[in-house]
Amino acid sequence: MKVVVERDQCIGAGMCVLTAPAVFDQDPDEAVVVLLDEQPPETQRPAVEQAVDRCPAAVIRLLP
Amino acid sequence: MSLPALPLPGEDQLPFDPPPEYARLRAAPRVIRVACPTGLDAWLVSDYAGVREVLGDGRRFSTRPGQAAHVLGAFGGPDAPISGFSQLDGPEHIRIRRNFAPQVSHPRRLAELRPLVEQITDDAVTRMLASPQPYPLHSRFSTAITTAVIAELIGVPPDRHQLLHDAATALFTTSTTPDELRRAVEPLWAYLYQLVATRRARPGDDVLSRMIEHSADSARPLTDAELTEMNGALLIAGFDTTASMITYGLVCLLNTPGQWEKLCADPELAASAAEELVRYLGVGAGLLRQATEDTEVHGQPIRAGDYVVVALQSGNRDTALHPDAGTLDVTRKPGAHLGFGHGAHACVGQQIARIELTTVLGTLARRAPGLRVAVPLEEIVWKKDSVVRGPAELPVAWS
Repeated sequence: MKVVVERDQCIGAGMCVLTAPAVFDQDPDEAVVVLLDEQPPETQRPAVEQAVDRCPAAVIRLLP
Repeated sequence: MSLPALPLPGEDQLPFDPPPEYARLRAAPRVIRVACPTGLDAWLVSDYAGVREVLGDGRRFSTRPGQAAHVLGAFGGPDAPISGFSQLDGPEHIRIRRNFAPQVSHPRRLAELRPLVEQITDDAVTRMLASPQPYPLHSRFSTAITTAVIAELIGVPPDRHQLLHDAATALFTTSTTPDELRRAVEPLWAYLYQLVATRRARPGDDVLSRMIEHSADSARPLTDAELTEMNGALLIAGFDTTASMITYGLVCLLNTPGQWEKLCADPELAASAAEELVRYLGVGAGLLRQATEDTEVHGQPIRAGDYVVVALQSGNRDTALHPDAGTLDVTRKPGAHLGFGHGAHACVGQQIARIELTTVLGTLARRAPGLRVAVPLEEIVWKKDSVVRGPAELPVAWS
């Protein structure tokens, strides 16, 4: 599983960190998404799928 | 032939549900043409996927005419001047959000805010439990808490709280005229404009000072007018929508058999209960967008310039989202929904609202499990002519 984020369109809503804190953080300056783990373990899949679904700006993608 | 009217919620008939015709519209799903109360004609999108598609694509669907110009008479539609960041699209809007986000949705900032919300809530519960019954919950509890939180964040002293209450009442009342709105918000704007100057000269630890400092290093620092508008929006939306959701949510919880009892048996459910109430009750009036190009939704052609109303509460009741979407369930695992909107314009203050709602529900469940509405449901007076729904006041009692 590979995770990709589009930082340009991020609005810093914070849903990814709320949903999958092991995989995402927000930078301290603009609160824009920071990917902590580009290839998280399978155990993180449900949380990452939730983060994809709950991101209002749709900037997170999950590649197989 | 005249168009059907946009179906809008009527608490007198159905206190907690969108109008019944939405069930038919989202089943197909169908996009129909409706007449809105402010005189605009619009396409109405009612199902979860359709609402998400429209709100999620700011390139095809602009917020330029104002997000509530279908129900608020004081917003002028296509030719109205841009009065705030909610009418901006694309990079111009992202620039503003990047100045908001560190203050209102960064996890470390939120961790700092949580104890403040807990303290304010605890004090409000203590005050309530020491008062005679019945107690006016909406004004003395819900509004008092959310006003104290947002005013403390921005550093607005209690003797100025009335400024934001007056501005919010005018802003969210559908019958307010543009002139009335200008008169009602002007005192708040004048005060904030002064506050910006004060904080530029003597920065503090508040949101406004932090925004000034944060944007000073950027390529295009925020102007005084932008700072005034951003903080005014935070103050107005920050107390009224959340206070209304606390009051409205509590009536709904107390009125749905078993739900309040479940929360009291396990107050750790407060976070999922808060999320569920926002899904179940949020944004009954819907939001407005305007197509920027010829496009379509569910096969319905929509021309450039056409208005589109998205029915968020209806979308949240779509069985495509949850097979039992019509049921309120405080144990539902928090997931995606439309109660805070969706897309780049999703609610700026949603993480603060989550903290407030969760703290209030958890604290009441622990300290006032005997809470009840002191009048029959039919006697509750609902807000009239407001886009922010809920009871105008709520007498409560406890044992």
